[in-house]
Amino acid sequence: MKAQDEDRILRVWTPIILRTVLAAAGIVLIWGLVAISLTPGEYVMHFRAMQHNARVKDYLTFAQLVMRAWHGNPRAIMTVGLMILTLVPLARVAFCLLFFIKTRNKAFVAFTAYVLAGLVAGVLLGRIG
Amino acid sequence: MLPILGALFALSLVAGFVGALSGLGGAFFIVPALVILAHVPMYVAIGASLISVVATSAGASVAFVRDGWTNLHIAMVLECATVTGAVIGAFMAGLIAPWVLELLFALIMLQSAYFELTKKGEDILPKGSPIAERLELGGELPSPGGGVALHYGVTNLAGGGAIMVVAGLMSGLLGIGSGSLKVMAMDYLMHVPLKVSSATSNFMIGVTAGAGALVFLARGDVSTVVAAPLAIGVTIGALVGSRVLPYADVKRLRIGFVIILVLVAIVMGWRALSGN
Repeated sequence: MKAQDEDRILRVWTPIILRTVLAAAGIVLIWGLVAISLTPGEYVMHFRAMQHNARVKDYLTFAQLVMRAWHGNPRAIMTVGLMILTLVPLARVAFCLLFFIKTRNKAFVAFTAYVLAGLVAGVLLGRIG
Repeated sequence: MLPILGALFALSLVAGFVGALSGLGGAFFIVPALVILAHVPMYVAIGASLISVVATSAGASVAFVRDGWTNLHIAMVLECATVTGAVIGAFMAGLIAPWVLELLFALIMLQSAYFELTKKGEDILPKGSPIAERLELGGELPSPGGGVALHYGVTNLAGGGAIMVVAGLMSGLLGIGSGSLKVMAMDYLMHVPLKVSSATSNFMIGVTAGAGALVFLARGDVSTVVAAPLAIGVTIGALVGSRVLPYADVKRLRIGFVIILVLVAIVMGWRALSGN
């Protein structure tokens, strides 16, 4: 398939992916902000604590996070929203990788696979340090 | 609660709006605003800013992709370099003292101010370098009037890639999109038309910042109480800014933005060196 034909297909699907994931993240983030607004004092407490600590270390395992969000914990809901937001580039690159595998464009399979691997490496590096 | 949340939201709205109008992105204004005005630690400001960059890039690049201004093939090749830099930068940000990051931020702001003043005009090549031609990286400028589309070639992929690693590094270290470095590399070195460079850079910024944001998020260095309102506010501000942009006197505004950039760079540099 020629680059121009690939472009035409990507130009249709990329905006759809970007908009869908962005909208999903926005809904969850607003839900979390509304939830924390309804819990008196919680927002201010966490904001002040953050101001006095150089490092946040706002860390939970994925299972803990999902459980807390499920039980309506506002900060867990917002963290899920932020995670969905970071899925925007991941989803876009993953789609391109699958697309180039389908079109058998080996060079671009390699490029997108490298980018995807870089994003995954980011998560692993974050866990280490 | 409402005064803090409201102030943060207003701050991010203004940063997103000014970032879209200036073409520099909201992060250039949000990081100093968080550090200087809201007394947010540098690491927290960087983590929150990276998240907001992902959101604004996704929101703003949709129209450019749809209308054909973004060169998706160039973006995918250069993202290999920016992601490498961003992951290393975000990892290193956790090891570097905040004052060094503040000083670096000030220097990058000055570089962007310089770039704003020395932006080149179009320098289009009909044919690109052999490797770029083989990868079919060249493209056609969209012609809204339905006229003959102008073909452009791409050169110096290695030079552009090297600058992209630096742009990624700065993005991960400082929580910015590094758009001005990216546009400069594509425009000056690779001979990509300026509007295509800007649109392609905007598109790439999402993946670059996303790589850095994933490191911060996985490390637990993202404060949800800062990042969540920021992401929403900056995105709304950027969307409004991009709507206003066609009616704005960009040349006159550019001088104002350069003055703001230089002033904020001086304040950030002073903070870094004086320890305040």
